[in-house]
Amino acid sequence: MKKTLALFAALAFTTAVFAVEVGQPAPDFTGTDITGKTIHLSDFKGKIVVLESYNEQCPFCHHHYSTGAMQELQTELAAKGVVWLVVDSVAKDNFGYLKPAAAQKVWSEQKFAATAWLDDNAGTIGHLYGMKTTPHMFVIAADGSLAYAGALDNNPTPEGDPRAAKNYVHAAVDNLLAGKPVTIKETRPYGCSVHYAD
Amino acid sequence: MTNLRLTRLPALFCAVLALVWAGRASAQINLSSLDDGLGGNHTQVKLLLPVTDAKPGDTILAGVQLTMDPGWHTYWRNPGDAGTATTIQWQLPAGVTADPIQWPLPHKLPPVEVTTYGYEGDALLLVPLHLATNLPAGPLNLAAKVAWLECKETCIPAKQDVSATLTIGPANKPSTDAPLIESGRAKLARTDNLFTFACGWETPAKGDQRNLILTGQQMMADVLPVEKADFFPDANDAFEIQSATENLPDQSGFRLRKVVKKYSGDWPKTISGLVVIEGNGQRSGFDITLPVADTAPAAATTSSASAPAAPEKPLALILLYAFIGGLILNIMPCVLPVIALKILGFVNEGKSDPRRVRALGGIYAIGVLLSFLALAAVVIGLKSAGHLVGWGVQFGSPVFVISLTILVTLVALNLFGLFEVTLGDHAADVAGNLSSKQGAAGALFNGVLATALATPCTAPFLGYALGFAFAQPPAMIVLIFLTSGLGLAAPYLVLSWNPAWLKFLPKPGAWMEKFKIAMGFPVLGSAVWLFTLASGDLDKTGTLRLGLFLIALALAAWVWGEFVQRGNKRRALAGLVSLLLVSGFGAYAYFQAPDEIHWQPWSPDTVAQARAAGKPVLVDFTADWCLTCQVNKKTSLEVPTVRARLNSLGAVALVGDYTHTPETITAELAKYHRAGVPLVLVFPAATNREALVLPEILTPGLVLDALNQTAK
Repeated sequence: MKKTLALFAALAFTTAVFAVEVGQPAPDFTGTDITGKTIHLSDFKGKIVVLESYNEQCPFCHHHYSTGAMQELQTELAAKGVVWLVVDSVAKDNFGYLKPAAAQKVWSEQKFAATAWLDDNAGTIGHLYGMKTTPHMFVIAADGSLAYAGALDNNPTPEGDPRAAKNYVHAAVDNLLAGKPVTIKETRPYGCSVHYAD
Repeated sequence: MTNLRLTRLPALFCAVLALVWAGRASAQINLSSLDDGLGGNHTQVKLLLPVTDAKPGDTILAGVQLTMDPGWHTYWRNPGDAGTATTIQWQLPAGVTADPIQWPLPHKLPPVEVTTYGYEGDALLLVPLHLATNLPAGPLNLAAKVAWLECKETCIPAKQDVSATLTIGPANKPSTDAPLIESGRAKLARTDNLFTFACGWETPAKGDQRNLILTGQQMMADVLPVEKADFFPDANDAFEIQSATENLPDQSGFRLRKVVKKYSGDWPKTISGLVVIEGNGQRSGFDITLPVADTAPAAATTSSASAPAAPEKPLALILLYAFIGGLILNIMPCVLPVIALKILGFVNEGKSDPRRVRALGGIYAIGVLLSFLALAAVVIGLKSAGHLVGWGVQFGSPVFVISLTILVTLVALNLFGLFEVTLGDHAADVAGNLSSKQGAAGALFNGVLATALATPCTAPFLGYALGFAFAQPPAMIVLIFLTSGLGLAAPYLVLSWNPAWLKFLPKPGAWMEKFKIAMGFPVLGSAVWLFTLASGDLDKTGTLRLGLFLIALALAAWVWGEFVQRGNKRRALAGLVSLLLVSGFGAYAYFQAPDEIHWQPWSPDTVAQARAAGKPVLVDFTADWCLTCQVNKKTSLEVPTVRARLNSLGAVALVGDYTHTPETITAELAKYHRAGVPLVLVFPAATNREALVLPEILTPGLVLDALNQTAK
């Protein structure tokens, strides 16, 4: 029975994966950030929004922050008016889950420069967007449509200098800001699998 | 996903490690520090060589063995939705080169929504190492940096240096690891051409997704039983063949549906990856690279299911029966007395010259065989005439089975002595005259006409054989008849060889008549068997009608035998009564039967069989006590329009009788969330389509709609 349920759940997720499509409106969501604030995607209407699926324990994510490259990107894009939401869908019973206080500590120690860090331990946003890996990146255009989905860059390893790699998110945002069509709309995400709740 | 709970303890241990790691990470993380002896790795890596010594010019199969702690896994060459493939960076001395990794068959790892391909427990990655012909003798150090990502509830990238020493010398010397490498080789993809693979797009693209059909047909049937097949694609940046696999029905191999998601560029022209086939408890893999056709490969068209075939018996057994049948003919009342007379006649004629006697016996046998050959020709002629007028004679055809039932019943009645089969007085006279001729010609005619002469006795058996032979191909008919003839001729051949053996021949007497009647019972038995076969094609009332007709037939046969053949008064009247009985009941049985839907009893198997044969199925679950069911049947099922549509669709109508609430039907009702009857289901022939469940109260329109949908 449990297996059947899991299968149904999987089917439901699969549908969810198909629900977000590049070029289609990005679905709205409501989440709570690590400071307890309620955040809606629709709060940022008219702005470019970057979604980053994140797990502090994942070496791929860790690599981007430990090198400081991710914070630099966040700072640069924030200056251009881009909103950056970190989505942490790690389940509460997974040891990678960070309680809000612990997350705030990581946030300040590692000098995160994102707009907010959403505690999505129920996996609602993750499933809605079909986030498969950490990091799995999404860029939503100012008109609310999904402009990019996939990998952060073309270096699918937790090694090397991320600044040297081709960053797809940076490229997509640049295209949008220049009013041009996004050249690379979709790539295959890499990283750790998202540790969703069962 | 399920083993999470079982692995709490190691998880705790890892959590502690992770905390240590996280603490260090807040400074600056150095990934190589993970293999600095802190025990951070959950995977042990060793470099194994199959030999300690090797000759220059050899190729040796080295193995990199990864042994993972329980619950941890590492990844295949395509990690799937997450993870990274294990890499081996060789540091080899000059003159040694390495091929790419040969990967053992991976498993799909959960969770389903983020499927990865990898290994749990252990994995032996094999790498052929080529040794140059000019390598100097002496020890070589083979080294490699192995990097992998190990994951459980979290992922840890890890690296390890491995090395092994190989001595170049005059001869190969196997190492203690040789058997391990050999067993690792058995876990690689197969390299034989057991299957022919093909793939093509099933549908036009829908956005950035498109369905792909991948098929494999076995070159030799069923060498590898396929219970389940899957395809693990190679990684590609431009597109992704998603992990979900749908196994579609296929007769002689497999047929998979995969969804391809395109990231950039055109739709792929070729795909590559690993086909994994499971069956009989074993797993086999095949590495494939295939061009993608514009259309899906055709489905295998082996239609194995057709009308129920005649029970198959080995040829030798059939012929043995035919021979015994022929032999038994000899002890029929009108044959047995003749044998001794004939043999004595040969002896007289041959003037006791054994060779001459034998020759006469042989010619007589040839005569018998000739007459049987003629009979076979008649059967084949009738059979092809039947084909010409459009009724194919085969065991599965209800008409044939019913005819055979009637024939065999008559045979039994004949053996019981209810009536006789005669050739008429005149024919018997002619036959008698011919057979009284002397010499070789006389012997031949004797043989030819032994059959005719013995007709009153042999007819039942010949008729029996004839009936069954009808369903056989021509060559088989000839073979059966010749063997029967050989059986009939056997005593003549044997006895003319040595007339002294006549003393072993049973003495003719009254026992023969009793034997004949006794033989009627097994024949009656086969009539019952045929009757049950025939009833499979009939509904309850049809079966009853056939039974009644057989009784009327028996009555008519008795009237015929008793009052026409053996009677002396009012023979014409008796003949008329007999004929009226047969034709009256025959008409009753025949003309009402086809006027109804051809209902057959329901079972899950009959549904599956009919669908496998490409027929839609209508199932009526009904019960005598269910009033709605009766009303439904009268108003919406047994109506001309529905009957006609069922016929034109070639649909099979099944009735599930729930009067005594059998459990199989209760279970089937539960499947459709019904607690009782009525339940009427319409199954499209295509097994991937669901049954259409009709409402409890039917109209002919509802039924017709459902039937029409099956045709789509």
